[in-house]
Amino acid sequence: MGDWKTYWLRGKGAPYLLLLPFFAFFIFFWVMPLVGGLRLSLHSNTLVEESEYVGLQHYQELREDPKFEKAIRNNIIYTGACIVVILPSSALLAYWLQSAWKRVRPGLTFMLLLPGLTPPAVLALLFLLVFHGKEGVLNQMFVMPFSRDGAINELFHLHFNARPINWLKDPHFIMPALVMQAVWRWTGFVTFFFLAGMEAIPKSLYEAAYLETNDRWKVFKRVTLPLLQPVVLFCAVYLVVDAFAMFSGAYMLLGGSGGTADAGLLMVSYSYQQAFTYGNFGTAAAMSLMVAPALLALLWLAIMGPRWLKGRVG
Amino acid sequence: MKKALLPSERASWTATLLLIVAGVLFIYPFVWMFCSAFKDNKEIFKPLQLLPGAWNLEYYKLLFKGELIPFWRVFANSVLVAFLQALGTVALTSLAGYVFAQHRFRFQGLLFVASLVVIVLPQQALAIPLFSWLNELKMIDSIWGVVLPGVVSGLGILYFTQVFRQIPRELVEASRLAGLSEFRVYWTLLPLCGSALLSFGLIQFILSWHEHLIPLLVLSTQDKQTLPLALASLFGSSLRFPFAVLMAASTITILPTAILFAVMHRRFKSSLSEVLPH
Repeated sequence: MGDWKTYWLRGKGAPYLLLLPFFAFFIFFWVMPLVGGLRLSLHSNTLVEESEYVGLQHYQELREDPKFEKAIRNNIIYTGACIVVILPSSALLAYWLQSAWKRVRPGLTFMLLLPGLTPPAVLALLFLLVFHGKEGVLNQMFVMPFSRDGAINELFHLHFNARPINWLKDPHFIMPALVMQAVWRWTGFVTFFFLAGMEAIPKSLYEAAYLETNDRWKVFKRVTLPLLQPVVLFCAVYLVVDAFAMFSGAYMLLGGSGGTADAGLLMVSYSYQQAFTYGNFGTAAAMSLMVAPALLALLWLAIMGPRWLKGRVG
Repeated sequence: MKKALLPSERASWTATLLLIVAGVLFIYPFVWMFCSAFKDNKEIFKPLQLLPGAWNLEYYKLLFKGELIPFWRVFANSVLVAFLQALGTVALTSLAGYVFAQHRFRFQGLLFVASLVVIVLPQQALAIPLFSWLNELKMIDSIWGVVLPGVVSGLGILYFTQVFRQIPRELVEASRLAGLSEFRVYWTLLPLCGSALLSFGLIQFILSWHEHLIPLLVLSTQDKQTLPLALASLFGSSLRFPFAVLMAASTITILPTAILFAVMHRRFKSSLSEVLPH
């Protein structure tokens, strides 16, 4: 009896006992939904009546569904654009912040971070009211100067004839509008992560680097960025996952649809639409499960990628 | 001769100026939002006009009266959900993080990777299967249906494993030699990572405060809704109402996370930089 107790409290069993609470939740609220989703995706689309086994029919349908293809393509473009814009601008902002006047640094960091602290639903609301629209800031600042009697034309005697962009109705601009929102939301946070990572870099490394050069940018490029690589990788993974889980912004801006010509249709919005607009829960579940392998591959890449690189270089 | 300063010690005015421009662009909408809570509908649809004609408090009063949305009720729901979720996540993942950092056992790698899978396949990506599972559990329209799935955080496991790795092994060994059970060892180590616990609690609070999809699926009664839901449904309603009310509600919605972050900013950054690999 005593041995048994020691085994679980202090001995070899203890780690498993202490992991139990987390993994109980993990199994109950993560594995079970997944298994349930698998079952759901193999049955016909009814929640109320007894549904029947249909095999891979939903998957087959999705493979031929042009809307699903569009959602995947949109989501990939959206993810790529977010990464390409956010990571470099955050690196640049972190670099500037590192060399900004010390007393304004916390204030500036907070200004950049505020969108990240704001619920995306509120961000979308503000985006609609402030940026978007004929009178909106984006049009007034960046488009209207190029209009027929805009400032740029007057100044340089040019003949641009720009019209205010209808960001959320014009299919060419829906995606840029969604990306802009993500950039607005995440850039500050990623910058903050970079700064925290930079704080962890030993000062002696900088001292050594500054013996060789006085060029701040060069030091940033050669010393800071390479050492920041794990942080960058983490942020990149997080951004990709967030992009594939993006819902609130698109839902607020496009009202649960994909927008004009489905130009803003993303994975989660489409599965939401399938489930709650059409009542096709099986199809929606199949959709989630079809994205899963891609996201798992991402994890694998994030774990194995750096090791592979290390093996090559070091 | 002047001693060469490190980049963090030299101030660059161009950088400061550029940052101010970026910062103003980032927060202009927030300043506008704050001011717009005092404007009538005609003024609000001029995004370039910042200051209201008069600082009129009537829209705040209208919001607090709770006719458009039961504001304080919804606010309290949001606080409750975010707080419980933060508390639960920190409790579960710090315990697991301690085990992963300070023990060697069979299936360790497998279990660790399993918890990392949650990072890349979050509940939002599995929302529809999760919804039908919660439906089977009869947890729909209860805040537990939002809170409980939310505490399964792979990010927490990753974070606390790093945190407990920082703790010197001798300390752990000493507590074990003193005859403490493994849980008591964990319990005595906890005060040493106070900052880390608070920081992760804050992250989880913010994530939960922002969450839109899961509450939208789970909570249907208006009295149980959280802030993003209430704001979205007010915004989407065909009701004619002063938009200033929406702006007032948004302003208050932002305050808790912004204040918490501003207060904890320094602690947050240093505990973050401790766990980042270097």
